[in-house]
Amino acid sequence: MSDYKRMLERVGQKELNRRRLLKGAGGIGLGAAAGAFPRGLRLRGARAQEGGEVIVGMSQETINYNPLLYANTGIDTVPEVLMFDSLLKILPDGTFAPNLAAEVPTVENGGISPDGLTWTFKLRQGVTWHDGEPFTSRDVRFTWETVMNPDVAVRSRAGHDKIESLDTPDDHTVIIKLKEPFAPFIHVWTSGVTGVIPHHILSKEADINIAPFNTQSPIGTGPFKFVEHVGGDHLTVERNPNYHLGPAKLDRVIVKVVPELPVLYTQFKTGEIDVIDYQGIVPDRWEEAQTLPDRVVVGSPSNFVEFIYFNNARPFFQDKRVKQALYHAIDVDTIIDVIYYGVPRRTNSYLSPDHWAYNPDLPTYPFDLDRANALLDEAGWVRGDDGIRVKDGVRLSFTNSTTAGATNREATQQYIQQTWKEIGVEMTINNMPAAVVWGEYTIQSQFDTLLVAWDNPIPSDPDPTSRLHSTLIPAESGAGANYVQFKNAEADALMEQGVTETDQEKRKEIYYKLQEILADELPWLPIFNWTDPFGYKSNLVGYQVNPYSATNLGNVYEWYWQE
Amino acid sequence: MNWNYVVRRVLMMIPVLIGVSILGFSMMQLAPGGFTALYTLNPNTSAEDIERIKRAWGLDRPMHVQYLTWARRMLTGDWGNSFRGGANVRDLIVERIPATVQLMGTALAIAIILGFVIGALGAYRQYSIFDYLATTGALIALSIPTFWFGLMVIYIFAERLGWIPSGGSESLRAGETGFLDRLHHLVAPALVLALVLTAQWSRYFRSAFLEVIHQDYIRTAHAKGLPSGLVLRRHALRNALLPLIALAGMQLPVLFGGALVTESVFGWAGMGRLFLDALTFRDFPVVMAMLMVTSFLVILGNLIADIALSIIDPRIRFN
Repeated sequence: MSDYKRMLERVGQKELNRRRLLKGAGGIGLGAAAGAFPRGLRLRGARAQEGGEVIVGMSQETINYNPLLYANTGIDTVPEVLMFDSLLKILPDGTFAPNLAAEVPTVENGGISPDGLTWTFKLRQGVTWHDGEPFTSRDVRFTWETVMNPDVAVRSRAGHDKIESLDTPDDHTVIIKLKEPFAPFIHVWTSGVTGVIPHHILSKEADINIAPFNTQSPIGTGPFKFVEHVGGDHLTVERNPNYHLGPAKLDRVIVKVVPELPVLYTQFKTGEIDVIDYQGIVPDRWEEAQTLPDRVVVGSPSNFVEFIYFNNARPFFQDKRVKQALYHAIDVDTIIDVIYYGVPRRTNSYLSPDHWAYNPDLPTYPFDLDRANALLDEAGWVRGDDGIRVKDGVRLSFTNSTTAGATNREATQQYIQQTWKEIGVEMTINNMPAAVVWGEYTIQSQFDTLLVAWDNPIPSDPDPTSRLHSTLIPAESGAGANYVQFKNAEADALMEQGVTETDQEKRKEIYYKLQEILADELPWLPIFNWTDPFGYKSNLVGYQVNPYSATNLGNVYEWYWQE
Repeated sequence: MNWNYVVRRVLMMIPVLIGVSILGFSMMQLAPGGFTALYTLNPNTSAEDIERIKRAWGLDRPMHVQYLTWARRMLTGDWGNSFRGGANVRDLIVERIPATVQLMGTALAIAIILGFVIGALGAYRQYSIFDYLATTGALIALSIPTFWFGLMVIYIFAERLGWIPSGGSESLRAGETGFLDRLHHLVAPALVLALVLTAQWSRYFRSAFLEVIHQDYIRTAHAKGLPSGLVLRRHALRNALLPLIALAGMQLPVLFGGALVTESVFGWAGMGRLFLDALTFRDFPVVMAMLMVTSFLVILGNLIADIALSIIDPRIRFN
């Protein structure tokens, strides 16, 4: 019996898996509800406890505490939200709240000029850095200058490169002029994108890339202060008594590295860690985790979408019918249920189904081998002697690459390989170490197809320009991140329109239309929306799932232990 | 002691280390991929960002320029800075020494003592039941994948029985730390690691003893009526130890190099994990520094073993 047939037989488990999924959804509700309680509320008569510590377990080490320089989003975002602030924060419902800014700029309050070109941020008064120096507009200016400094290895300039000028008329006002209207600009000033760094420390560094600030002595304005980092082991931070949004209830937070995922789960089960964060509960123990006493597990929706990335410059991907056939020949439900134990959710777009701009009416490509075969026949691909389709002397044979050793991804590849073979398509697996496959191989579009997860350039905004605009193909222009080499004039126009339109409802229409085009042209195949299987001890109050942030730890200063 | 010989050997280290550095540097440059791949996975990083990051770290310059810059800095005692955060590489390495030596030292000590006992008994009573059991046991211990074995130990003794902590080098909770806590964390990784090392060392000791106890002078010693305990201690043991001193010298890099798999499974913050992480993320300054330190220790360990042998064994003469 082929693996494929064995897998089809396992589809019988689907009902069970759906039930499990619903249970998981219950977990989400619970987590959100816990977070929704106002601070200090007594649950079930239990008393809130001041102080204490929380140990957060993660499978990778936090390493670079400079919020502009770190590369490992999701990991190093955690110390950023513990120790640093941004002008604004994005809340779990997708709205914004002031942080270092005194208010969220809008057209109504005069913060944004009617043409969308001038942004005025009024800064909060009385905020101090951990070393006691006052926080002023000079720090915001310095942050932007550092991002644009050609000698600094800042991870991204997305959004900052739209700034024409940044003026600081007084200590608590920042006036930004944009080169052109840019609707996602508000997201640029949120945590995970632009953490504000101190001018009084870093301006004295000859080379910010190697400043001790990054690894040994970070100074922020955030709710916790740096205590120690023990390489390969843990990071400890302690309460900042002067935090401008109210001092944290916890005394200390420890971020502990547990490199092996099965052991990370063991530590969650034994209670050695209080919160299990990235990469969360290992899928094959997700079901057991839900039965653990005194633990809450949450399927935390993330912005990451798992894709098959096509290199659309390859001859066999010129015809969209081929890609549509390939989509019909992927059994997404079985991949989610059997390989990922029902944890992730299906998505038909590059956005998570929860995203405010997600188009719920997109055409779908259900698993249907007959339809797939018909599409390939129609496109003129005829089966050769070996069962693989051929057209004009070209065999429908290509590679698929991802990080070698990523077990679930490799299982997914093998399953897709089987179903694609059924429709006369030969896919060869060509996996490489992460540092190879995501290097030039991806950037210069040397791949045929990739199996990869990405979220949006500015996670909370739907704008995908850098990944889809025809002028942003690095293999051609050296710019952007359009590794799929997608070229579509209509999509280009919509994306250009989308970033200049400031009305949210009109933007929604634009991105709905864009998603329709993508669902038809298929520059990539969205497979599922990653759901992070996280959890925490049930007497910890305040844990909040934030689908718009790379971490759920953005509000740790509100957490407390119930007695 | 021939000081001329020692000086000559030390001087010979220089060309060897230069050779190793050139080879290591070229291999890393020629290998596909690089540390910027980590940025590619960051959705808001574009191709221009990656070019700028490469430039900021000097990776756009020709290979020989990069090598000479690195070598010049290394000679002045500057080991460079990690690509991940810019930390001083020497600090990163020095930080890991205590944990590494703790784990490796404990495991090696257990292995050498147990290995000696098992190996000596096995050789003394060759082809006895004990010898067969020891041989089979060693074979099994060497064949078990450490990764799997470590995870099973954690599953059974930490998760099911709750006897040991499931990883890390200390409990991080306030009020639970201290010497005993650290010892408690050390038990499982040290024993898992010691299992494989004991198997190896018992084989070394066994063959070293076997070689000696069949020598003519042992038979002579027995023939002249010495008690067999004395023959074993004075004649067999001393001579059997000679080849093992050379072997012990080679343990120096092992002691500092750490254990990749055991450290990962038990979340032990040793040198092995630093190396693994540096290699995974292509953090070349760290990889290069660790390569140089390891090469240096290999040469040094051999040198110390040679000198020790020359003191113990009067038959060895320097030339």
